[in-house]
Amino acid sequence: MKQVGSSRSRGLLLSLAALVCVLLMLGLPFGIIALWSVSDGWFPPSLLPDGFTARHWLMFLNDPSLRSAVVNSLVITFVVTLATMIIAMPTAWALARYSFPLKKVVEVFVLAPLIVPGIVVAVGLGRVFLKLDLAYTMLGVIIIQVAGVLPMTIRILASGFEAIPSDLIAAARTLGANRIAVVRHILVPLSIPAMLAAGLLSFIGSFEEFERTFIVGAPIVHTLTTRLYINLSGAGLVVPVASVVCLILLLPVFLVFMLTSRIMRDDVMAAGMGKL
Amino acid sequence: MRAVHLLLLLLPGIGVLLATFGLPLFWAVLGAFGLGADGAGFTLTPLTDIFAEPKYRKGLMMSLYYAIAPTTLTLFVAIPLALMLQKSFIGRKLLNGLYKLPLAVPAIVAAFMVLTLFEQGGFIDRLLMLGGWNIGKIVRDPLGIGVILATLWKDVPFMTLIIAGAFGAIPSDTVHAARSLGATRLRAFWAVQLPLAMPGITAATLLCFVKSLGNFAAPSLLGPAYPLPLSILMYDSYRDGDWMAIYAMGTVLILAAFVVLAAYYMLTAAAFGTGKAASSR
Repeated sequence: MKQVGSSRSRGLLLSLAALVCVLLMLGLPFGIIALWSVSDGWFPPSLLPDGFTARHWLMFLNDPSLRSAVVNSLVITFVVTLATMIIAMPTAWALARYSFPLKKVVEVFVLAPLIVPGIVVAVGLGRVFLKLDLAYTMLGVIIIQVAGVLPMTIRILASGFEAIPSDLIAAARTLGANRIAVVRHILVPLSIPAMLAAGLLSFIGSFEEFERTFIVGAPIVHTLTTRLYINLSGAGLVVPVASVVCLILLLPVFLVFMLTSRIMRDDVMAAGMGKL
Repeated sequence: MRAVHLLLLLLPGIGVLLATFGLPLFWAVLGAFGLGADGAGFTLTPLTDIFAEPKYRKGLMMSLYYAIAPTTLTLFVAIPLALMLQKSFIGRKLLNGLYKLPLAVPAIVAAFMVLTLFEQGGFIDRLLMLGGWNIGKIVRDPLGIGVILATLWKDVPFMTLIIAGAFGAIPSDTVHAARSLGATRLRAFWAVQLPLAMPGITAATLLCFVKSLGNFAAPSLLGPAYPLPLSILMYDSYRDGDWMAIYAMGTVLILAAFVVLAAYYMLTAAAFGTGKAASSR
């Protein structure tokens, strides 16, 4: 009995330690950035800012180039997510529910972009875009981002569609349900977890995308991430301004994440990625 | 009729991938041999240059280092964390929700966090100053510790999510059976859980590795100025319009990825005898 008690308290200690670790890993960096964004001078060795100000946030609101980066980011993310889902759904359905010759080849081809470093494809596609006059345009950025998130979206949707039992559809059909009723009452409800996972992933993938956007879009089309990179890599790094951009960048992503993590199922996302 | 149906279903996804992935890649590999629109006839010089010129050779080494080091470290954090999430304990729900947050955080923001915390004069440095210590050079240091930290922070949740899914899919009866047949906890883990979760672990490892191999933001913001990884050299050549160099670097990077993948499969096959099962699934 004594042993059970000690192993239980050890387990409690371990889980507590893990929680503290995770909180520290997340809380510390976010906290420091939040403090920087409202700091009015913060020089070593002081552990807290010397004063507080809303100046950097106001400056952001009045900076048209940053505002246009926000608008660009939101528009691009929205269009990319929508377009990716529309393009991925039929293909995922075919891969999940049909068997055909060369299916293996098609599956490997869908997987291939995941095992080729993204920058190689980005630079190659960038070259094509330069010839087609798509470089430095919104459309170019949207296309290259769709290309980036499409393979994973197809994977997750296909593994979700695969999990829908065929018996259920057959049973509904024998019981007199027509095609539309099957879609409405069986296919759509059972696909929702996978569609949510895929949609969320393309949303995040597009919003946080940097390399491809930077290669195809910058310096004409800027999103928040490429703007932040310019801020960080330039000679005059202004930490408070960069902090404001960081926090703006985090806001919508966290919002979506919080909203969907309540209804999202981990296993759906893991199933899509967990097979190679 | 059915075939037409099928083709129409496959067309959008596969067509887009052909145009945005297959074509540029084909072009790049052709270009590396001096063929295609940008080339001037078959040649091997650009490719051999990569191994001959120190800038490129060291760049390749650096790319591999930035990919292998954080991926290996991540494995050692992610597997215990994923195992822990299988158990029920107080605060599990909170932990399970929280650890995934970095998944949604852009890589550049992660790099910026490392800057504000670990640079000389950063927050951690200031904390250490209280005790009279100095943090030393972690950002833009020759070992690229800052790059590894930023990559780690992003990769641990990603790997943990996939590996936890793989552990979760193992029927709990199998582990119970091993335990009641006298296997120690460690042996049950090593002989039952780990091999069964191997496809998931493999997928997670490979995805992290390939992602880091083309990593651009973290090395350019946090890494040493020399040697630069191939990803940054490729970007520089892209801005200069030096297509031959780009195609050669890209081709070498793809080859490097394949060599490491092959080595990984051979290693895991030797260790668990499951490499084949993992690759065929």
